[in-house]
Amino acid sequence: MSLLKVSHVTKRFGGLTAVDDLSFDVHEGSIKAVIGPNGAGKSTLFNLLTGFDRADSGAATFLGGDLLGRRPDTVVRRGVARTFQNTQLFEELTAHENVLVGVEPSLRAGFVRSALRIGIRAEERDARERADHILRLLDIERWRDVIAADIPHGVRRSVEIARALATGPQVLLLDEPAAGLNGAETQSLAAALYRIRDHGATIVVVEHDMGLVMEVSEEILVLDRGRKIAEGPPLLIQKDVAVIEAYLGEEVEDDDV
Amino acid sequence: MKRSMGVAAWMALVAVIGAVPLLTDDRYLLKVLVFVGINVIIVSGLALLFGYAGQISLGHAAFVGIGAYASAYVTSGLGLPWLVGVLAGTTLAAIGGLLLAMPSLRLRGHYLAMATLGFNEIMYVIFREARAVTGGNDGLSGIPFPEVLGVRMDTPASIYLLVWGTALVVVFLVANIVRGRPGRAMRGLHGSEIGALACGVDVARLKIRTFAVSAGLAGLAGTLYAHAVGFVAPSTFSLEQSVVLLAIVVVGGTGSLAGPVIASIALTLLPYADALIPGLGKDVIAFLQDWEADIYGIAMIVVVVLAPKGIGGLIRAARSRSRAEETG
Ligand SMILES: Nc1ncnc2c1ncn2[C@@H]1O[C@H](COP(=O)(O)OP(=O)(O)OP(=O)(O)O)[C@@H](O)[C@H]1O
Ligand SMILES: [Mg+2]
Repeated sequence: MSLLKVSHVTKRFGGLTAVDDLSFDVHEGSIKAVIGPNGAGKSTLFNLLTGFDRADSGAATFLGGDLLGRRPDTVVRRGVARTFQNTQLFEELTAHENVLVGVEPSLRAGFVRSALRIGIRAEERDARERADHILRLLDIERWRDVIAADIPHGVRRSVEIARALATGPQVLLLDEPAAGLNGAETQSLAAALYRIRDHGATIVVVEHDMGLVMEVSEEILVLDRGRKIAEGPPLLIQKDVAVIEAYLGEEVEDDDV
Repeated sequence: MKRSMGVAAWMALVAVIGAVPLLTDDRYLLKVLVFVGINVIIVSGLALLFGYAGQISLGHAAFVGIGAYASAYVTSGLGLPWLVGVLAGTTLAAIGGLLLAMPSLRLRGHYLAMATLGFNEIMYVIFREARAVTGGNDGLSGIPFPEVLGVRMDTPASIYLLVWGTALVVVFLVANIVRGRPGRAMRGLHGSEIGALACGVDVARLKIRTFAVSAGLAGLAGTLYAHAVGFVAPSTFSLEQSVVLLAIVVVGGTGSLAGPVIASIALTLLPYADALIPGLGKDVIAFLQDWEADIYGIAMIVVVVLAPKGIGGLIRAARSRSRAEETG
């Protein structure tokens, strides 16, 4: 079943069409990869879907409503969470605290109840336990009390995924989660993605690491200059002429985060 | 590894504060401590806004002024009870914070500093020119003493207890806000507004509410000031005072409440050091008072250079060191 349906979405920056009449479906419980050369419009697509940028036209149907044109915090509360190509962690907060802010959408206590500490004990305890649970799910609990600024690069991406997961998303959009990771870290990321999916979240992942893409994704969407040039299972995409040309056109110089 | 202040610590604080008027009847000392308590209230609110949420305000003295003038006018002008004045002053200042925050939502850093600075200047002009309500440059005098349930608080000791009782409650409430959900969202917002949005934090609403709460606390402090001193004049609420308040929070450290509270006590006491050290020469006091602003400036530079995270940062470092010693 299609959980997220993107129809004819277009985004222009001046004369440049970053996303061009793009349509695709994301099936519930799947892992979908979005690939394409630098500047293909992958991050822009995520920005449009999560309210960080406004589409010029098109629609994105999720749970019977349109996602486009909403505020980022509203999109998250509806069940679509994301990470960023340039991680947006709270540097002064520990990993646990970062994830706790992610629990935000499910909390009720406002200023008054927090100030007077009325009926917030259970809520706070549950939030902390949930944050700890998610740190374990991503296998980063040993960084729990370390502030983000002091956490090594490879782990920071996991902290950001954990924080996004804490919002309780149905769809998780990950923008280059393997960028800057070494081989072992990429392997454990792949395992984490499966665990997250089995946990009930549908995943859309933008990624340049082809090994990871081929391993985890059930379906691949290929973008080039904002347009969809191919879509299908990994084995078919690997052989697709248009895809090979798009990639040969710019040579496989490794991604510069 | 208990991070929040325990019940015992709070009780000790209550005991120390309550014991002061029993130990001394020095009117000068008590008056100085009233100013200290008032600044503790303002700085707690500003620490919430600037230290936690990362939103700068160079307009806090104006909020104090709104509270002070409103309460003075409601009580001595309209003849209404003290408590009505306090509520009016606090509410009006909070509304002022709300109205300033809404158009400033998109402003950050220097631009927000300029907007709040402009607000302080505008309010300063109003305090000076709206003579019918504010008394102009001469100010308002004859503001009645606080009175609750027929009990007039007209001695230095009773005003001291009123101000410090209020300060204690304010610090307690702000401490709870800071370690609860709003405080976490504020620290997130401070770290990365984009990250906070991606966590579902309604950033616009959080900024507006924090501004309103912070301004309301400044207004509350203003009402206490008006009735403690019995007189208000514009110069107390000038931009320079806003700068001093912000300097106190910077010295206290961002992301900390204890730091700014300690800084507000220390820096407010400094020009009145003779209240604590009776033998201190007149020339020393004259020096401290003449150079007050410069001393604050130097304190700020020293902090920025030697301990960029302020007193709060030093407290955190000491705590994690003692924790490391416990476990290691
Ligand atoms: N805010 C913006 N203003 C103007 N142009 C933009 C903006 N954001 C993106 N672009 C342009 O849109 C195009 C698509 O950018 P986008 O970041 O979506 O690419 P991408 O596929 O994520 O690339 P990469 O793999 O390098 O991350 C690029 O040409 C980029 O320069
Ligand atoms: Mg990108």
